[in-house]
Amino acid sequence: MRSDVKVAPAERTLRRRDRAAQRVPGPHAASRRNTRTGLLLVSPALAFVAVFALFPLAFGVYISLTNWPLIGPYHFTGLANYTALVHNPVFLESIGFTLKYTAIVTVPIFVLGYALAVFVRSNRPGSTVFRTMIFLPYIIGLVPLSFMAVVELQPQSGTVNFILAKFGIVKATTAWLVHTGLALTAISFLVIWFAAGFTMMLLMAGMQAIPQDIYESARVDGASWWSAEWHLTVPLLRRSIALSLIVSVVYSFLAFNQFFIMTDGGPGTSTESVVMGIFQTAFADMNVGLASAMSVVLVVVVGLITFVQFRFLQGDAD
Amino acid sequence: MRGSDKKRTLTFCVIVAAALVSAACGGSSSSSTSSKTFGVNATGTVHFWARQATDGPAKALVAGFNATHKNLKVVLHLTPPNDDTSQLATAIRAGSVPDVVGLNDIDVPTFSHEHALMDLTPYINALPYKTALSPGHLKLATLDGKYYGLPYLADLSVLWYNKKLFKEAGLDPNSPPTNYAEIVADSAKISALGHGIYGFSFAGNCQGCLGFTMLPSLWAVGTHLINGPLGTQTANVTSNTPLKTMLAAYHTMWAKHETPVADQTQNGLTWGKDFEAGKVGILPGDYGFAAAFTTPAQKAEFADAPLPGVTGDSYSTFDGGDDFVVPAGAPNASGAWEFIKWALEPQQQVKYPSEGMTPIRTDVLTPSFSTANPYDAVALKALAKGSVEYTLAYDAVFNEPGSPWFKMFEDAVYNGNLPAGISEGQSGIQSTLDSIKG
Repeated sequence: MRSDVKVAPAERTLRRRDRAAQRVPGPHAASRRNTRTGLLLVSPALAFVAVFALFPLAFGVYISLTNWPLIGPYHFTGLANYTALVHNPVFLESIGFTLKYTAIVTVPIFVLGYALAVFVRSNRPGSTVFRTMIFLPYIIGLVPLSFMAVVELQPQSGTVNFILAKFGIVKATTAWLVHTGLALTAISFLVIWFAAGFTMMLLMAGMQAIPQDIYESARVDGASWWSAEWHLTVPLLRRSIALSLIVSVVYSFLAFNQFFIMTDGGPGTSTESVVMGIFQTAFADMNVGLASAMSVVLVVVVGLITFVQFRFLQGDAD
Repeated sequence: MRGSDKKRTLTFCVIVAAALVSAACGGSSSSSTSSKTFGVNATGTVHFWARQATDGPAKALVAGFNATHKNLKVVLHLTPPNDDTSQLATAIRAGSVPDVVGLNDIDVPTFSHEHALMDLTPYINALPYKTALSPGHLKLATLDGKYYGLPYLADLSVLWYNKKLFKEAGLDPNSPPTNYAEIVADSAKISALGHGIYGFSFAGNCQGCLGFTMLPSLWAVGTHLINGPLGTQTANVTSNTPLKTMLAAYHTMWAKHETPVADQTQNGLTWGKDFEAGKVGILPGDYGFAAAFTTPAQKAEFADAPLPGVTGDSYSTFDGGDDFVVPAGAPNASGAWEFIKWALEPQQQVKYPSEGMTPIRTDVLTPSFSTANPYDAVALKALAKGSVEYTLAYDAVFNEPGSPWFKMFEDAVYNGNLPAGISEGQSGIQSTLDSIKG
């Protein structure tokens, strides 16, 4: 049935334009479609993260609210595990020790990694060999390196004492791994040597991505090497620096292998990292509920530190 | 309801009732039959989990069993070090358990206490050689008068000594020390030989090794560090005179440099190598070290003796090693029991020494066994007097790096502060026992 309502010509024109507008997709429709396509494309990755990261995390939080033993029945205990942690001196000491360890190794790893990256970023003859040599400890891995260190740090028979004793720095009988200070020193040196190569690779990749014409312009303007490095390289490398520092701090917070192999947390529990404490609580004391609470606290602490670091290093680059 | 329906309903009820009674009787009958046929002519596959640390006997037993049994096969799965209990616990929680497990005997109470293991009492009581089974291993498998496991293999501690060094130091090479006063005296004479020779050695950064070699000397004189039943256990440190004597002896030898400096960092990985190199006079250690003594010269030089009591006239050993346990709900428990019975037969037991382990049946100690295995004969003789600390908190009290036992040892031996060590040991062990109540 036709409409009897009379419509003014101008209004008809407007209606036609609207209908046309509905037929031809506008920017909003395209945006919606792009969003849908995007979601569809990332959905496998999202599902993967949900199944293998978010669900275990949520389940871990649930376990932390129970008295879950490794075997046997369990029941809901509310925040009892978290309350116990506040009064647990070994856990608090392990957090303090892990913070101290992180503070000790982070800066040297970065400084050494940066210096090495400067050294190998150009494709001079020999650069590739040098890069490989520096990166080799990272390829070998921390577990074999830690076992090697245990052997070389032995009193009387280890190479470290043999060399240092020649210079009068230590005695040949120095037992590195049973004294807290010495053990931490030895492990820190090992980790700096191990991780500097990885930082070097991250920073070198960032440095090589900076266009050379920027440096050429700076040289034309009379900038010195130091000036170019400070005013060009460092600001343009901010994202790589942020990444390397965040990775370094997170790895330090999650340190386990080197302490487990070299000191077993000793003497006493003086070199027990947080993750070692979690491992002991879950698998030696068989208290998975408490260990999960410790893990949740660790996740929160690492998350907060990473967030602060990220915000601090993001700066003007974004 | 019509009459025929009533009749049909009545008939149905009678049939159901008869079926239920029959099922109940059948169950009972089946149960009685099954206890007779349990472990006899079983078929299928038995999944056997053993520790990597004791893989030698496990591999040999599985190979031997499979070669002689057509209808029942054993599949071996080795659990890695530090993961044996967590793997089993995970399997139990997942409801997918193996049929039989060679479990470190000190871990058995933890699992039996949670009712995660099958009650084997009637089958063990029926064994004709039950009284010959290692008492310490069996004690750890006992809860409320029931057996939840039985001995599988023994890993025992003994006192190693170097006859050549004894002779050079003017000591009788056929008279090993029989108490700690003699150990200290002999150690001093041997150390006086100089040239890198030490009187005594110990694994000073291996908490488990120290418990393994020191506790038997306390048990030999009738004292334990942990007393009382599970749930109300108490630490026996402050008033433990033999313990103080032993710690003081260790400190004396350490302070006088009669032990290698590397002992303080010895975490067990190269334990006994200094003795094997002929540099140490006395070493409380593992019988398994014997596997490295292969040459006639070594066999003439090295001898073992039972670990003496602190004050002498007695000896003991740490009943280490594994128990056989059958997890509750094991799919082929009958097959597992058949395998266990076969493994405990003397023909299999006498082969243990070649794998660095000791049999768990004292009746295997015959003259021919002693002639063929002189080192293991010493260990097996001590097995009858072996013991353990029965507690759910063994790992936490003794084996962990920050354990109160080790803190006490460090204070008393390395720092030379016996009163502080004793005080810390008493409070630390007691608080650990209180926190892990059975």
